[in-house]
Amino acid sequence: MKLNKCFKHAFNMVLHSKLRSWLTITGIVIGVAAVIAIVSIGDGMQQSLNAQLNALGGDIVTISPGFERGGGMFGMRGGGGGSSGPQATTKEIVLGRSDLQALKGLPDIALIDTNIRGSVDISYLGKTGKVSVTGVDQGVWSQITTSKIKTGRMLDSADQNVIVIGGRLASSYFDQPVGINKMITINGSAFRVVGILDDQSNSVYMPIQMAYQMIPDKTNDIYYTLVVKIRDENQLDEVITKIENKLMTARHVTTKSKDFSVSSRKEMQQARADTMNSMNTFLLAIAAVSLIVGSIGIANTMFTSVLEKTKEIGIMKAIGARNHDILLIFLFNAAFIGLVGGIIGIMLGTLLSGFMPALMGGLPMARGTAIVTLNSIFMALSVSVTVGILAGIIPAYQASKLKPVDALRYE
Amino acid sequence: MMETIMELKDVWKIYRMGEVEVPALRGVSVKIKKGDFVAIIGASGSGKSTMMNLIGCLDIPSRGSLYLKSQDISRLGESDLASLRGKTIGFIFQQYNLIQSMSAFENVMLPLEFLEYEDRKAANRTREILALVGLSDKMHHRPTQLSGGQQQRVSIARSLVSDPEIILADEPTGALDSVTGREVLEMLHSLWKKHGKTIIMVTHDLNLAKYASTTIELKDGEILKISKIRGIGE
Ligand SMILES: Nc1ncnc2c1ncn2[C@@H]1O[C@H](COP(=O)(O)OP(=O)(O)OP(=O)(O)O)[C@@H](O)[C@H]1O
Ligand SMILES: [Mg+2]
Repeated sequence: MKLNKCFKHAFNMVLHSKLRSWLTITGIVIGVAAVIAIVSIGDGMQQSLNAQLNALGGDIVTISPGFERGGGMFGMRGGGGGSSGPQATTKEIVLGRSDLQALKGLPDIALIDTNIRGSVDISYLGKTGKVSVTGVDQGVWSQITTSKIKTGRMLDSADQNVIVIGGRLASSYFDQPVGINKMITINGSAFRVVGILDDQSNSVYMPIQMAYQMIPDKTNDIYYTLVVKIRDENQLDEVITKIENKLMTARHVTTKSKDFSVSSRKEMQQARADTMNSMNTFLLAIAAVSLIVGSIGIANTMFTSVLEKTKEIGIMKAIGARNHDILLIFLFNAAFIGLVGGIIGIMLGTLLSGFMPALMGGLPMARGTAIVTLNSIFMALSVSVTVGILAGIIPAYQASKLKPVDALRYE
Repeated sequence: MMETIMELKDVWKIYRMGEVEVPALRGVSVKIKKGDFVAIIGASGSGKSTMMNLIGCLDIPSRGSLYLKSQDISRLGESDLASLRGKTIGFIFQQYNLIQSMSAFENVMLPLEFLEYEDRKAANRTREILALVGLSDKMHHRPTQLSGGQQQRVSIARSLVSDPEIILADEPTGALDSVTGREVLEMLHSLWKKHGKTIIMVTHDLNLAKYASTTIELKDGEILKISKIRGIGE
């Protein structure tokens, strides 16, 4: 029998068992839709992550006192808006003037921002609270920070009693919104707001010299962290090594007794990307499982229909069908189910992936838009057809091997 | 004189049911002449259908050999047998055995599709044959929309469509009332006379056996008697 005729008969078989075929197709649709949605969201997250990575400054390195525990950089110290203080156990281990001097000797470093952090009382128009204040080297900070100004300006070197505040502190922390040039009281002293950041934080930035006076128990020239901008982003790993070596020498420690940590945003982002990748893989595995279940559905349908069509197979063989004619008819049937399932699955998956970012809105990593690539469509189609054929092979082979007499006798 | 189209040489068919062996055919030898109209008769369980399946290459003998136009078919593989069936043998079954999801037209055309006829040629041939059995106006009916007699005529059309030399009919009237059964047999008989086919038919009905020119009587898997009838068939 010619191929197009085999296909015609396969197609008719699908048409003549509509309900069962559709149920089977639904199984494949769900599997493919899940794969498409998850892959596209993965792609979307990857893109937004890459964008974030670039915006966050891969050339910034943060040096903190204390040990680096097990898992590494993750979660020890927030970068920008975090509020946790240094670890309690690191009281004697500090970063100071000599460390700063050592770093200044490194030609790979463009800028160094020294900063300290502490909790202060804050009040505005009678409403009071407690927030974390970061004292920064105001001449350098504006060139190093990844925060963006929404209104007003960054700190500059001549500034004294002024602050830059986070977006949320300005808009909703107090009873009334805080505008530019308003005065906020911090531990009893008045500060003028010169800039509001384009973020959702409660942070307060002020010149480091002011911060030494405002934050209790702070000693001049003892720093919370040193934030360094390097000259060449591509040299990041090398420069980190140089910084570590230089500081170990300056602090008279070895690799083993190292009492400080050097971390970069890039590493944090990388760790994030890794987490996301493994989450992606996990989701994809779930999707793959549903695809497998779908394919078992095809196999089941095919077995049933071979059984149901046993008599017809016998008739066809009696009137001249060869084994491979029967094989092809049943394989086409299975492949067709896979194909239709795949096409509908892609449409559904594309639709779903449009909604997914909204559904997963709570997850910060899922903020990106989903991207359905031609690649994933092609992949899903070939996978679903292959799955259909694979699931159909054994039943189709069984059908083709039926002995005509036995098949004819079957009722 | 007439050449032999089919020959059975000491053919045995033994069905195995677990431990028990059921010999359905026991050393059957017979020659069937080209152009003959053969009726196989015998009591129920005497092995008629078994013999028919072997002649029709639907089954292989346990022992012995079958020759179709001097070719030993007990040695052919499944695909060769299928092609041979498609080209040489047309089947008419007691239960019509039409494919329910296909129209009369599609059922009749199916053997031509297996023989890879060109579409237009196949369609023309199908129409021609359906006209021959008087079903031109019912071409697009499904089997369920046809009477038993009409279904059997569709199945006769299907058996004829590829112009095979041999027509095998296992109780072709078994599911029909006597009047319709007679009509179907008249049709087979006229086809035989007009087109010179070799027809081998299994029947219970001795009245219908009279249409044949040769009868083979089976008993317990053995040939009891072969008789040439000089009657209507001549
Ligand atoms: N597939 C089978 N397995 C086991 N035994 C079988 C099988 N087919 C037929 N037989 C046995 O072989 C013998 C001959 O059967 P067959 O069907 O050829 O008889 P028949 O002459 O066609 O009978 P009927 O007139 O009732 O159709 C019977 O005893 C039957 O039980
Ligand atoms: Mg029988």
